[in-house]
Amino acid sequence: MKKLKLVLFLSVLGVGVTAAVIYSGIVNVAADEPHSDLVYWLLEATRENSITKAAENIKVPDLTDPELLLSGGVDYEFMCASCHLKPGQRKSDMSLGLYPTPPNLAVSNDSHEGHEHGDDRQADRNNFWVIKHGIKASGMPAWGKTHDDQRIWAMVAFIKRLPSLTPEQYQILTAIE
Amino acid sequence: MKTGLINTISKIALVLIPTITLSMAATAHDPSMHVKKAEKADCSKMDHSKMDMNDPVAIAMMKKCMQQAEKSNEKMDHSKMDKKMDHSKMKKMDDNNMKKDEHNNH
Repeated sequence: MKKLKLVLFLSVLGVGVTAAVIYSGIVNVAADEPHSDLVYWLLEATRENSITKAAENIKVPDLTDPELLLSGGVDYEFMCASCHLKPGQRKSDMSLGLYPTPPNLAVSNDSHEGHEHGDDRQADRNNFWVIKHGIKASGMPAWGKTHDDQRIWAMVAFIKRLPSLTPEQYQILTAIE
Repeated sequence: MKTGLINTISKIALVLIPTITLSMAATAHDPSMHVKKAEKADCSKMDHSKMDMNDPVAIAMMKKCMQQAEKSNEKMDHSKMDKKMDHSKMKKMDDNNMKKDEHNNH
C-alpha cells in the first residue's frame, strides 16, 4: 500500500513539474541560445537512432550514374546549398542562424564532430530518409512531399560526391543549362 | 562661440554615426544576396588533363558542357536561320541603317 502511494505521489509530482515547465514559459526556445550539453546529447542521440532504425531496410540503388549527379546537383544548389553549404563556402545566413546547425555537407563525414555516420551504405540510406521525410523542429523539410524517390536518390548521389568536388566542378554540375 | 561649434559637431556626430552604422548593416543584408540566379556552367575552367574519364563526376561535367555547347550551337543554327530570314528585307534594313549612319555623320 505504501509503495502504491509512493508511485502515485511520484506520478502526480512528475505531471505537476512537467505542467509547470510547459506553462511557466521558463524554457528558452530561442535558436540563438544553444541547448545544454545533456539536452543536446539527448536530442541528437534520439534523432540519430530514430533515423538509422527507420532507414535500415531501404534498398540503395546504383548511385554511380553520372546523370544522377546532374539532376541531383541542380536540386542541391537550389534546395540545400543555402543551409548545407558548397565547396569553398564556410558559412551562410542559414547555417549561422539555424539551430541545430545544419551539417556542412561539403566536407566529409569523417571531419564532422559528434555522432557516428555508419558505413557508406548506411549513410546513403540515412540521407535518403532524411531528405524524403525531413526532421521535426530542425528546419529540415520533407522533400518527399514534392519530389519522387528517383529525384531524391539523385540528390543522395550528389551529396555522396560533394566533399570531393572543387568549387569549379560544383559550379559546372549545378549550373542550369 | 567655441562651445556652440562643439555642440553643433556633437549633434552632427550623433546623427551621422547611427546613420552610417545602420546603412552598413543594411548593405550586409542586401536581399540580392539571397536570390538564387540561374547560372550557365563555366566550362572554360575544366582541366581535361587532370580529369579521369572513368569518374562519374568527370563524365557528368563533360555531358553538361557538351549539352550547353549544343544548345548554344542550336541558337546559332544558320541553316534554320536561312529558311526564316528574309534577306531582301534585311538588305533594305541595312541600307536604311547605312543611310542613317551616313546622315548622322553630317
